[in-house]
Amino acid sequence: MLQRTSSVDRIKVDGFAFSSIFQIGDSTIINGLNRALAVQRERELFFGREGNFRNYPIYSIPIPLPQLTEPLTFQSHPLNPIIKVNNIQVIAFSSSSVLHVGNSKHINMEARIKHIRQLLPKTDQAPD
Amino acid sequence: MNFQVYNRDIGVGNIRIIGVSSSSILMVGDVQTIQLSSVFDTPAESLIIGPFVPLAPEVR
Repeated sequence: MLQRTSSVDRIKVDGFAFSSIFQIGDSTIINGLNRALAVQRERELFFGREGNFRNYPIYSIPIPLPQLTEPLTFQSHPLNPIIKVNNIQVIAFSSSSVLHVGNSKHINMEARIKHIRQLLPKTDQAPD
Repeated sequence: MNFQVYNRDIGVGNIRIIGVSSSSILMVGDVQTIQLSSVFDTPAESLIIGPFVPLAPEVR
């Protein structure tokens, strides 16, 4: 398959966190996985070593993907084989996200997040 | 299906983004296959009102 060349003049990113990737150039396979257990408590109280992914099915249930049911023929005609971008400015990349300049073959990204909120009983709340 | 693509001129001036997170991707280039999936769970049961109880501990 004929592919295009990516040309970016200027990139400014302040930060990459938690297994994020900045890839310049072609790649073949990218597999990204992000699992997070987000706990918010009304009062600032956190116990050490808590949270177990195995207790929540959200981290293990299979995600069904639509299957290709008919044969596909793909043909691309790169009349102008350049993708031109002048300027990219991003504050931050986080949680297995990717900034990719260049071509790739197969990309598979997955995110599983469970969000738990814990509030104080109404009677315990201090009057405003 | 017969899928034909004509890649003509493409030029982008500025891309300004606050943040990219949770297995997202910002890409300048071509890709043959791409699969993105996300599960986000914040059900009613996850709103716990009552005394703060620690979650089940992590096991090594």
